[in-house]
Amino acid sequence: MASDVSRRDFLLMCAVASGAPLAGLDPGPAVAADAPKKGGTLRVAFYIEAATMDPHLSGSKIDRQVYHNIYEPLVTLDVRLGIKPGLAESWQQPDPKTLILKLRRGVKFHDGTEFNAEAARFNFNRMKTEPKSVRKGEVASIDSVDVVDAYSIKLNLKRPDAALLATLTDRAGMMVSPKVAQERGAELERNAKGAGTGPFEFVEWVKDDHILIKRNESYWNRQGGPYLDRVRYRPIPDDTVKLQSLQTGEIDVMDYVQPRDVAAVKADRNVVVVDVPSLADFAYQLNHARPPFNTKALRQAVAYALDLEQIVKGVWLNVGVPANGPIPPTSWAYDRSIPPIRRDLAKSKARLAEGGQPNGFAFTMTTNNIPINVQEAEVIQAQLREAGITMKIKLVDSATLISDGNNKNFEMISYQWSGRPDPDGNTYQFYKTTQGTSLNWSGISNPQIDALLDRTREVANQAERKKLFSDLTKILQDELPMVFIVHPIEPKAFSPKVRGYEPIPDGMMRFKDVWLQ
Amino acid sequence: MGRLVLRRLGATVPVLLLVTAGVFALLHLTPGDPIDVMMAESVDAEVKENLRRELGLDRPLYVQYAAWMGRLLRGDLGRSIRNGEPVVESVSRRLRPSLELALLAMTVSLVIAFPVGIVCAVRRNTPIDRAGATFAVFGICMPNFLLALLLIFFFGVTLRWLPISGYTDPLEEGWNGLRSLVLPAVTLGLALAAVVTRTLRSSVLEALAEDYVRTARAKGLSEWRVIQAHVLKNALIPVVTVLGLQLGTLIGGAVITEYVFALPGVGRLVVDAVFARDYPLVQGVVLLIAVGFILSNLIVDVLYGWIDPRIRSR
Repeated sequence: MASDVSRRDFLLMCAVASGAPLAGLDPGPAVAADAPKKGGTLRVAFYIEAATMDPHLSGSKIDRQVYHNIYEPLVTLDVRLGIKPGLAESWQQPDPKTLILKLRRGVKFHDGTEFNAEAARFNFNRMKTEPKSVRKGEVASIDSVDVVDAYSIKLNLKRPDAALLATLTDRAGMMVSPKVAQERGAELERNAKGAGTGPFEFVEWVKDDHILIKRNESYWNRQGGPYLDRVRYRPIPDDTVKLQSLQTGEIDVMDYVQPRDVAAVKADRNVVVVDVPSLADFAYQLNHARPPFNTKALRQAVAYALDLEQIVKGVWLNVGVPANGPIPPTSWAYDRSIPPIRRDLAKSKARLAEGGQPNGFAFTMTTNNIPINVQEAEVIQAQLREAGITMKIKLVDSATLISDGNNKNFEMISYQWSGRPDPDGNTYQFYKTTQGTSLNWSGISNPQIDALLDRTREVANQAERKKLFSDLTKILQDELPMVFIVHPIEPKAFSPKVRGYEPIPDGMMRFKDVWLQ
Repeated sequence: MGRLVLRRLGATVPVLLLVTAGVFALLHLTPGDPIDVMMAESVDAEVKENLRRELGLDRPLYVQYAAWMGRLLRGDLGRSIRNGEPVVESVSRRLRPSLELALLAMTVSLVIAFPVGIVCAVRRNTPIDRAGATFAVFGICMPNFLLALLLIFFFGVTLRWLPISGYTDPLEEGWNGLRSLVLPAVTLGLALAAVVTRTLRSSVLEALAEDYVRTARAKGLSEWRVIQAHVLKNALIPVVTVLGLQLGTLIGGAVITEYVFALPGVGRLVVDAVFARDYPLVQGVVLLIAVGFILSNLIVDVLYGWIDPRIRSR
């Protein structure tokens, strides 16, 4: 998809769409005014350590940050979430159930073996059959993969899947050297030497200390970087200490600045903050299978009692925008003509009466025991009290939260989804009628929603899909499987000497064109 | 002495059994499932079920515990559920920073506590004593995380004398390694020094009132010699008890300090493992911490005998 909107315009557009101040749009690291130069080690800090170096087994966001530099997906994202060529030069869809990918010639894995159609087929088969593969669900629509010629593959789909290309921009599209995968087996999880084709090569992972990658001298793409000699990732779990490490020059990049620190960091001349609007969707799932939220009017009573503007301002300190539904303003499918649900206590009380609880009711909210979640819960609690609704807060750790969600053992539960480039990833698995375990914790089952969701996968035309997602958002605002709260912004902070970073709303830091002044 | 050690070692077996069984039961009673945590984004129930079967998590609890015990007797602590790494490897990698930190913190505490404690006792009820008491109250009351952040701000951010976070092994890079451990060791050592100071002060005071001290003074020994040869040795027993109990805590319980300074220690390992419900890893680390506590108590008992021969003959 050709884009005539610059990154800066795009971010401003998001800011305007959201009403959020993007004061951090300093041209510093984002726009390379001087000529890039080679050399140097970029020191990056994350809040936790990576979990595995095997993209097909990974369920951690931090892993992806490293992968996007050593592996490459078949297709990649531009700043507007459009799909652009990656290891696949071009693609065509002769019919809704066939996708033909023409692969790039002259690409070698870091182990020296060639990337070709056989390698791509090997990767898809691995994702579909490897017992520990976390990618199975993502490539479920692919029935089989045919090698058309040495540099073309044909994906035969079980059903039309308009979201498939977007899925291939991340781990499901990442190509691992078949030789490395076969020879190294489970050891690939700890050692990715030679496994990728990306602008950087894996060097070492000293557990609990650092991951080191170095420039791929024979990278196929001669335009721009890679400029950096090395990138060194290390975990610093404490946010304050991580920030201080950046301010004193012990690190050059940090993955995320807490909302509470954003204002102070933006005032610091030694640090450059880039606000990256995310794909995320932070909400609360309401359990449709048990009282009180099996009654639609009571779900609506809660939604009308909430003041999202206040939550985003008071809790998120405007490092995010109020949500009108599951699709973030960064997406092409975001419909800004649909406003977020506005607080209206009269309506809330009317819905309470309609739901048979004119004097209010009580319920329990389950949420993660982390500071920002606790603050948000307390604000929600106070807002609901004004409508006569009593909310108890149950604080749990992540493992308990997931288990309570999967077992539908909740009344209202926090759900913070990191988001996917295609709106399908923020919708289908949450609202489609499903049996057994799924991310549809609310248990919503609505034929109209099901039909719309299926249709969004069948239709290839983006404008048409956008309309379908708008219709879906309106129904979701009425049916309320979730109350939508915020689409957070993910501010990243850099040392002023870091140049050439381009923020893509998936939050991944690709260092190919980054250089040190 | 040998019999004492053997007897104490024998007594550790039931303790270890109780600790591991207790932790095993508590962990499995806690809501949450390791596979759900690992595959939070995957909705494929079949994948999760297969993995659960492969890891033996579908079997009854007593079978799982028996299997774990059986492996333990063969010296195998199993593998982490999260990343498949042998538990022994994870633990032994984390043990070194923890031990180094514990020893350094203990050194810091002794270097501070001995002079302060003794001087406070000898100069009882003087301004010096009151200053010592103030220091002790400060050390005991000051929360770890706050002290750590203040130290970082002062020595790392403002003066830039020391690195803010991270770990370098002093056994590999002596000077840089020591520098990386100074702030965490002071953080832990100050609190410990406060406790040791108070303990030492009161036990020195007690010893100073004993008849043998009066006799020593009557013999014409200098005050320094009296304290060194007669008071200190008798005042050491309570201090050794405190230090022994604290050593175990320093190794396994320095979670907050490890977290703030991004040190890869045992404390953080076990907390992360609990959050991930990584059962074998939690079991392995808890076992190690329990052994650490038992060993440090054993060392304390042996030291008692060395300090006070009357205990040996009992």
